[in-house]
Amino acid sequence: MSTPLRLLSRIRFRLLAFNALLVFLPAGGMLFLDTYEKQLLSDQERSMVEQGRVLAAALSGRGALRADDVTHTLIQLRQRSGTRIRVVRGDHALLADSSQLGPRREASIEEDSPAANAFETWLYRAGSLPIRLYRKWLVPPRPPHESADVYASGQPIDGREVRAALAGRYGAATRISSGGQRSVTLYSAIPIRNDGAVVGAVLISQSTYRILQALYEVRAGVFRVFLASLAAAIVLSLLVSHTIARPLVRLRNQAGAMIDRRGRLRGRFEAPKRRDEIGDLARTLELLRRRLEDHIVDVESFAGDVSHEFRNPLASIRTAADVLLEVESDEERKHFVEIVQREVARMERMLSAVREIGRLDARSEVEDGEPVELSNLLQGIVEAHRLRGGEPAGIEASAEPLWVFGSPERLAQAFANVLDNAASFSRPGSPVEIDLVRRRSKAVVRVLDRGPGIPEAHRERIFDRFFSYRAKADPAHPHDGLGLAIVKAIIENAGGSIRASDRIGGGACFEIRLPLHADRNSLTQ
Amino acid sequence: MASEPQGRIGVVDDEESIRDTVGFALRREGYSVETFGDGLSAWQQFERTLPDLAVIDILMPQIDGLELCRRLRAVSQALPIIFLTSRDEEFDRVLGLELGADDYLCKPFSMRELVARIKVLFRRLALAGSTGASAAEELLAVADLELDLRRYTASWKRTDVALTVTEFQILRALVSHPGHVKTRPQLMAEGYPHDTFVSDRTIDSHIKRIRRKFNDVDADFCHVETVHGLGYRYRPK
Repeated sequence: MSTPLRLLSRIRFRLLAFNALLVFLPAGGMLFLDTYEKQLLSDQERSMVEQGRVLAAALSGRGALRADDVTHTLIQLRQRSGTRIRVVRGDHALLADSSQLGPRREASIEEDSPAANAFETWLYRAGSLPIRLYRKWLVPPRPPHESADVYASGQPIDGREVRAALAGRYGAATRISSGGQRSVTLYSAIPIRNDGAVVGAVLISQSTYRILQALYEVRAGVFRVFLASLAAAIVLSLLVSHTIARPLVRLRNQAGAMIDRRGRLRGRFEAPKRRDEIGDLARTLELLRRRLEDHIVDVESFAGDVSHEFRNPLASIRTAADVLLEVESDEERKHFVEIVQREVARMERMLSAVREIGRLDARSEVEDGEPVELSNLLQGIVEAHRLRGGEPAGIEASAEPLWVFGSPERLAQAFANVLDNAASFSRPGSPVEIDLVRRRSKAVVRVLDRGPGIPEAHRERIFDRFFSYRAKADPAHPHDGLGLAIVKAIIENAGGSIRASDRIGGGACFEIRLPLHADRNSLTQ
Repeated sequence: MASEPQGRIGVVDDEESIRDTVGFALRREGYSVETFGDGLSAWQQFERTLPDLAVIDILMPQIDGLELCRRLRAVSQALPIIFLTSRDEEFDRVLGLELGADDYLCKPFSMRELVARIKVLFRRLALAGSTGASAAEELLAVADLELDLRRYTASWKRTDVALTVTEFQILRALVSHPGHVKTRPQLMAEGYPHDTFVSDRTIDSHIKRIRRKFNDVDADFCHVETVHGLGYRYRPK
C-alpha cells in the first residue's frame, strides 16, 4: 500500500478529516450569503424606486420646477442615508442634490467607495482567494468606469435613464461604482409632470456598497471563526488520536511481539489503569492471552502426562518380557504372559481415553446436541450398570421431565463414569444412590456413595487427567485416572459443572449441574 | 544361580506388574525380595528392618519415593538406593540423587540393566569396608582424578566424589581415553550396557550432574568438555 493511502487509513488522520469536515460547514455558509446578497440588493432597489416615485409625485403638478422649492421638499423628505436624490430639469440641468444638503448631509457614497479597500485585510483576502480567483478567471471582465459617479458636477445630466424619464418613461441604469469592486450603483429616474408635460425628473441613485460591505464583514467574521475552528479541530483531533490511536498502536505492538518465531507466547498485554473501552480491550486481550497460555500449558502438560503414563505399562511389559526368557515352569510363563496381556489392554484403554479427551477438547461434537430427558437417561444407566453385574443403584428422580441439551451418548457416558467411580468405592450392601432435582434453570444430579469419601486435598484434582490417589492396576477396578477427566470435559461441553464434596453421614457426593433446555422445559410446565 | 546369600532387596512400586516381574527376576538371581505397593507400608516395614538395598518408584500414593528416600537416608547413609522413574526431567528437577540415591533407571528399563546395577552396588558395598589400596590395574588415575574400578568410587585431589553407578561408568569411558571425544551413543552404551532405549538427553543430564558434583569439591574443575555436535571428552590438564 502506498504511503498516502496508509496515512488516510489511520484513525488519527480520519479523525482529523472528520473534524475538519465539520469545520467546513460554516464555510459553506459563506456561499449561502451570496443568495442573501441578491435578496438584499433587490429590496434596496425597490425601496429606492419607491422613494423616487414619492418625490416625483410630490413635485408633480406644481408648475415649473424651482430650485429652492425642490430643495425645500428634499429637506422635508429627509431621505435615508445611502440614497442620493437629484432633481433634473427638462434641459438636463441639475436643480437640487440631496448630497449637498445642510445638516443631514450624507456622506457621499461615491466618496466612500475607495474605503472599501480597507476591508480587504489579509484575512479576508486569504479567505476569499478561491472566490476572487473564480471571478478573475471565469467571470467576463466588466469595463471599468472612469469615475465613481457618471455625472460629474457642472455637466448636464443626460444618462439614458434621465433621457428616458424626460421622455416620460421610467428609466433605470446600473453602473459599476468603482474599478475592480463588485459594488455597483443603481440609478433610477422618474419623470415629474405638470399638466401632462414632463418638466423634469427625479434621479435617484444608491450604491450597493454598504450592503456588500456589511456582507464582507460577515464573511470575514465567518472566516475568522472557520480558522479558529480549524485550529481547534486539529488540536482536538490530535488529542483524541493521542488517547485512542496511541494506546491502540501500543497494544498492536505488544500483540506483534507476543508470538516469537517459534510460535511461542512471550510477554503480556500491559493493561492500563484506564477504565474506558481501550482499557477494557487491553484487559480482555490480556485475559485472552492468559487463557491461551493456560491452554498451551495444558496441551503441553497433557502430552507430557501421556508419555509419562504410558511408561508404566511399557515398563511392566518390558520387564515381563525380559523375565519370560528365563522362566521354566508353565505356570510362571502363564503368569507373566497374563501380565503382558493385562498391561497391553491397559495401554489400549488409555489410548482410547486419550483420544476421547482430545476429541472432547476439540469440541467437535458440540453441534451434534439434541434435547435429552435426564430421568430417562439416568434410569437407563442404572439398568445398564445392573446388567453389567454391578450392585443395583437407587434412583430418585423428580416427577417433572427435565430436558437438557447435549449429546445423549456423551451424557450417558459421563453419568456412567461417575456411577462406576462411585460403585468402585462403595462397600457391598450400601449401594450408590442417584437423585435428580430441578433447581431454578438447572437440572441437578447427585451421585452419592458410602465409600471412604474424598480427602479434602484431592477434591479439585480428581478431575485432572491421570490423577488418582488409588493404587494403580487394582485388578478389581482398572482405572487410569482419566474417567473423571472425561466426565468433566463432557459436562463442561454441555454447559454444566461438576464438583465433589463429602456426603453427610460419610461417603462422597458428586454433584452435576446442567442448564435446562429452555424450549422443552417451558412446554412441559 | 548364585549359591551364597546375596542380600535382601526391598522393591517399592505401585504397579503390581512391576513388583511381580522385578521380584521374580531378583529372586532368580538369588536375592531375597520384599515388595510394597506404596511408600507408607514400605516405610513401616523398613523402620523395623532395613533391607540391604532398596529399589523405589518415585511417583507413589501416600508417601512418595523421594520422601521414602529422605527417611531412609536419615536412618542409614550406606544403604544403596535405586530410583525408578517414569520421567527423567522430573528427576533432574527434584535431584533425587542429592537426596542420596545411588542410581536411577527410567521406565521402561531392562531387567538386565537393573540386575547389573544392583550387582555393582552390592560389590561397592562389600568393598567399602575392606582396607588397603586396590591393585594397580584396578585404579584409573589421570593427574588429580582417581577412579577405583573395583569399588566404583571416584576421587579428585584425594577427596571422594559420590558418583552414581551410571555416572561412574560414563566418566570411566571418558577418562580411559583422555582427550578423545566420546559420542553420546558411545557414552550411552557405557552407561547403560544392557538398555537399548535411552534418550540422548539422559547423557546430557548425567554429564551436567557429574560436573556439578566435581564442582562441589573443586569449583575450578572443568575437565569434562562439551564438543559441540559430537559429544564429550576428558581433558587431563
